[in-house]
Amino acid sequence: MQLDTEKMLAKIKNSQWALADIDWDAPGRELVTEDPELYPKLKIFMADLMWIEHVGARAFAAMAKKAPDDTLAEIYRYFHAEEQRHANVEMALMKRWGMLEGDDDNPILPEPNINLRLVIDWLDTYSDEMPLEVLGSVIPSLEIALDGALCKFLLDTVQDPVCHAAFEKINEDEARHLGVGFHVLEVMGHGKLHQLLVKAAGNLLNPKLIIGIAAYLPLLNRMRDNLVKLGLKEERLYEAMNKYKRIGGRTEQGRRNPWFQIISHQSAMVVNRKSLYHLPVDALVRLTDYYPRSWLKTTPTWVKGLTWKTAA
Amino acid sequence: MTQYLDKAPTAGRRSRKAADPAAVKVVEVLIVGAGFAGLGSAIQLRKAGITDIAIVERGTEVGGTWRDNQYPGAACDIPSNLYSFSFAQNPAWTRGYSGSREILEYIRGLARDNALLPLIKFEHNVEALRFDGGEGVWTVTLTGREPIKARSVVMAQGPLSNAGFPNMRGIESFAGKKIHSARWDHSYDFSGKRVAVIGTGASAVQIIPELVKVADKVKVFQRTPGWVLPRLDFASPAWTKALFAKLPVSQTAVREAMYWIHESMALGMIWNTPMTRALEILGTRFRNAQVKDAWLRRQLTPDFKIGCKRVLMTNDYYPALQKPNCELISWPIANISEKGIRSVEGLEHQVDCIVFATGFEVSKNGTPFPVHGLGGRDLNAEWSGGAQAYKSVQVSGYPNLYFTFGPNSGPGHNSALVYMESQIDYIVRSIGKVARDKLKYIDIRADAQKTYNEGIQKRLAKTNWNSGCKSWYLSADGFNSTMYPGFATQFARQMADFRERDYRLV
Repeated sequence: MQLDTEKMLAKIKNSQWALADIDWDAPGRELVTEDPELYPKLKIFMADLMWIEHVGARAFAAMAKKAPDDTLAEIYRYFHAEEQRHANVEMALMKRWGMLEGDDDNPILPEPNINLRLVIDWLDTYSDEMPLEVLGSVIPSLEIALDGALCKFLLDTVQDPVCHAAFEKINEDEARHLGVGFHVLEVMGHGKLHQLLVKAAGNLLNPKLIIGIAAYLPLLNRMRDNLVKLGLKEERLYEAMNKYKRIGGRTEQGRRNPWFQIISHQSAMVVNRKSLYHLPVDALVRLTDYYPRSWLKTTPTWVKGLTWKTAA
Repeated sequence: MTQYLDKAPTAGRRSRKAADPAAVKVVEVLIVGAGFAGLGSAIQLRKAGITDIAIVERGTEVGGTWRDNQYPGAACDIPSNLYSFSFAQNPAWTRGYSGSREILEYIRGLARDNALLPLIKFEHNVEALRFDGGEGVWTVTLTGREPIKARSVVMAQGPLSNAGFPNMRGIESFAGKKIHSARWDHSYDFSGKRVAVIGTGASAVQIIPELVKVADKVKVFQRTPGWVLPRLDFASPAWTKALFAKLPVSQTAVREAMYWIHESMALGMIWNTPMTRALEILGTRFRNAQVKDAWLRRQLTPDFKIGCKRVLMTNDYYPALQKPNCELISWPIANISEKGIRSVEGLEHQVDCIVFATGFEVSKNGTPFPVHGLGGRDLNAEWSGGAQAYKSVQVSGYPNLYFTFGPNSGPGHNSALVYMESQIDYIVRSIGKVARDKLKYIDIRADAQKTYNEGIQKRLAKTNWNSGCKSWYLSADGFNSTMYPGFATQFARQMADFRERDYRLV
């Protein structure tokens, strides 16, 4: 069934919330800070989660430029801001748990790992030029991994009620993001199959996209390794990817979208440890460790927009 | 179009007998509004020998939009030599693009020098207009005053005269100061204050550089970035002022040159041509030169063709945004709260004052007050699907009623006053015809109006305004009843052609 984007936009506008709506001083902080086993692992996890949300936000900003109509463009502008809000909430949780370096008033952002930095560089340079088909198909897979695996894992692991209150709000936003994401995925399966295939093949040959893929694949593998190290069950990721395949492929249009097929297969390989896919990608992960930092661009200013503050 | 008939017989012209002294006086022409259009109409009517004129003005002084828009930095974005009447040139303009105070002084001068003040009834607010077809007279209902009867009415209340706070979530809950750009509160001291400016249109880009100079912090909330082009502004040297005063023909020559430069802009602004691309390259280079940060540049990059919305002419907007005490916020606004503005990225931007540079309520689908024509027909209802008129000045079924800045008379590339002068000349001819021939009324034929509008809408479809962006030029459903799709010269030629056969003369 087609989504009514006008109604969805109205719903999004009616469902806004702010960091100030959460009581950041409510009791429960010690449930994290006084758990020596959880604390260091959670610190790494939260930083990664925050950066993924932030990178997702930038992708939505690019999609807003490519949206086929004003309503969808406006929805993406909201999603861009909402993902930023999620990253801000995660930073505020880190602040609550004393996970940010620097002093109280000027906490220092956790450093993104090299793969995140490469993806940030790519997004900053090329994402605005990418066709909606590519980002519009990748984003639901990332969202479903976030929603279905990472956030669930976090809530199972952390008992702090403020974290639960915050993620209740985040999950409501993410449900709308997924609704729109799968709608767009299907819409992009409309048209003649051979034309869709030729267009997808053409995009795959775009050197800018090839660079993006080369930055994105090792990031996924590194994140998967980090998460598994932290105790996330691989089945969770497997279930999330299956969900992407199931929902994205529920209609003929969705299945006809070549990018849905490409990402479904790639995701299946990511979660299958035995796949030969990991040989080159893991090699890339190791290689990127040697990537000269001087080759990275100056951190773009949009990265500096993150804040834990409720008011400015 | 439905044909309405007035109950009274329409045949027969006005009696040439002397008027009954006991009857209520019918003024020959009543003008609504004492801004540029109202005063300009009065001047030209008088020149044509029509002297029985009254001007009703809801304010306490002349000036219209330039009286109301006195926010810091307010200025015209058309050169002053062109943004003035050709029949009342001012050799003393102090700048290339004069500020609103100087423009207001010019308008005051028009009223003073042409002895118009005795004609103006200040604090007279029009509530409704109703036409009596039998008498051929308009009754003008006023707030708390006796109605006025007039043979002809010129609607010169201005398209940009109604300003109000936008309907934003939570606006009523804000505990700080709220100021609308068109109703500036000069008593409010911005020094040391945290200020939010909502909007980045023509008014905002003039206000922001001024606020940044005095306020502690300025947060600019942007929804859609516009195209910005450099403005060649300069202080007028003394020798040009002296030359223009001694040799008015030299100022006319400068005005002509400016006119044709602006006319050539139509090629890029109105239609999508190679010149559109050239103007976009100019805008892009200007942005690249003035804005160093790539992300800020991206936030300021428009995603529509130049000309689709009003082009912003300013040299100091981009530098102001980059001052340490200024911040551009392009996140959507979620709501206004007690302490400030909450944007969708989750932050509450706490401020002492919110400046709403959110524009005007331009009458696209209605009239500012009820207007009832022949047989009681209601103009508001007729315009509910989009305003239409004949050559922008007259509407069928509403005889002897004239619009300045009526439907489809807006310029996107040239001085509004050039268009206004053509309209005034047309109105003077039509009113002159009624007076000279002792007509009850003159009414444009419905078929002539229909043919005219079909042509306009056909031409509009090919313009940049109708190329997909949302702007105040278009109604909510995308109908363009605001802009004229052509050169100012074309508009002037059309207005110079008074076709009697298109009218019903009664």
